[in-house]
Amino acid sequence: MVTKEEVKHLSWLVRIDLSDDELERYTLQIEEIIKYLDKLDNIQLEHVKPIVAKKRLSDLRPDEPAGFEGNVLGTKYRKDGFVKGPRMV
Amino acid sequence: MALYTLDSRQVAAGVKGREFSAEEYIYQLLERIEKVEPKVNAFVSVSKEALDEARVIDKKIRDGEQVGALAGVAVSIKDNICTKGIKTTCASKMLETFVPPYDATVVKRLRDVGAIVIGKVNLDEFAMGSTTEFSRYGATRNPWDVSRVPGGSSGGSAASVAALECTVSLGSDTGGSVRCPASFCSTVGLKPTYGLISRYGLVSYANSIEQIGPIGRTVSDVVLVLNAIAGADENDHTTVGGKPAHSLRQRKGLRVGFVREFIEGAEPRVAKVIHKAADTLAKQGCGCEETSLASVQYALASYYTIAMAEASSNLARYDNVRYGFDLDPEGYEWNSYFAKARSNFGEEVKRRVIVGSYVLSSGYYGKYYLKAQQVRSLIKRELKALFKKYDILIGPTMPILPFEIGEKIADPLRMYLVDINTVVANLAGMPAMSVPAGFTDGLPVGLQIMADEFQEQTMLDAAYLFEQAAKVQRSPDL
Repeated sequence: MVTKEEVKHLSWLVRIDLSDDELERYTLQIEEIIKYLDKLDNIQLEHVKPIVAKKRLSDLRPDEPAGFEGNVLGTKYRKDGFVKGPRMV
Repeated sequence: MALYTLDSRQVAAGVKGREFSAEEYIYQLLERIEKVEPKVNAFVSVSKEALDEARVIDKKIRDGEQVGALAGVAVSIKDNICTKGIKTTCASKMLETFVPPYDATVVKRLRDVGAIVIGKVNLDEFAMGSTTEFSRYGATRNPWDVSRVPGGSSGGSAASVAALECTVSLGSDTGGSVRCPASFCSTVGLKPTYGLISRYGLVSYANSIEQIGPIGRTVSDVVLVLNAIAGADENDHTTVGGKPAHSLRQRKGLRVGFVREFIEGAEPRVAKVIHKAADTLAKQGCGCEETSLASVQYALASYYTIAMAEASSNLARYDNVRYGFDLDPEGYEWNSYFAKARSNFGEEVKRRVIVGSYVLSSGYYGKYYLKAQQVRSLIKRELKALFKKYDILIGPTMPILPFEIGEKIADPLRMYLVDINTVVANLAGMPAMSVPAGFTDGLPVGLQIMADEFQEQTMLDAAYLFEQAAKVQRSPDL
């Protein structure tokens, strides 16, 4: 059973404001989706290992920064050469 | 001559042989786009530079310089693949102003062999959907019947190819997003083995299962594009080494497994066309027999768990601060700004991000995500065993025909169920493609062909054999 409170809490965790209408609708829909995903709970999988990546760290290229030329930021909200974000405190 | 009807080989040969110029061909395509776009709505943006790029190709040829295998060929690019200097919106308000400072590896490789990006095409927002209805730019319509969906999420790619608005296209396939629209629009669409094509520059939705793939009107077109874009890329560490070259071959005697679970759930009109397609392959000397892939029953639950979990993590980066739509941060507290900005994701994206965070929640991880990953192993193991017996597996790409726009949009679970036959290949990381199988009541049906990892050539052999025998390819009246 998925409750409205759960969906509200999750929407806060992922930082998405939901309207009352959305909360109502999503709760019903998510309940139905989760019920479908519950299928996974009925399979015997004790001896099955999950798929893992085969690459080793040594296969990767050196982790060196590669910047782009020109203005790469798409915001007009700036101050003193910095991007302006919302207030933290 | 209507140059926009030509295939890639004909365009490149015509341009190189100076039978016509790339400029004439691109000009005709732009006229065609202007004519049919009001009906189809495949494009998010049409390139302003395409004609100039065509003139550059023409000049190179006049000057006797080398040009590549796709010289002059117009390609449309799904709008979740980065194009330098051209807006890449993912059909989302959250990226409505985003202009990438670089080309995705696939785009760069296409340009390197002379292809011309004619425009960016529509998709379900962030590639989440099966109909191309969840787009900020309105639904794309199926060129075969404009009251119906073109499939998704690469609906703009398939529709633009079918409607003769470009010659080939690139889409992305996370759970069938290349093959579904290819099937619904009667085009050829290929999802490669995971790691064959670089994802560098593809806006991530579910990284562990998605791949970029070509869409064309013929198998030949798909082979040309695949060869141009496949191969190792140091910017995507999941790519495998080497640079494979695929070709069109006449090959007989393929061992074909007809997957019972794929056909069982199909609507009778679709099943009839697919049975006929199997007969066609048998008549061409293939050994066709029915087989079973039992783990299909868990594939969809596994797919949606993984896709939504990865989506919720990938989309966490969109904070609307460094790029995004116009929302002044002044007066907002840190968290409330993000929650407000991110409420502008579309309906389906919000739903998937929330479900994704649900299945990843502490206490539920083992119940959903871990099990979903184990199901992947199970499916892969079962497929590996089948590919010891068969060269290819077949079935309908989509279990249903293209449906009316709006028909399933309010019922997410019903919408998800249409992906049942396509998600298997993504979970196993194996290649799969859709080829036009025929029509029923004027609507296209696609045949899905699957092969073992990195056996794209075998899959293409089967597709080419079928295409040559079935002769389905035609274009809609628009």
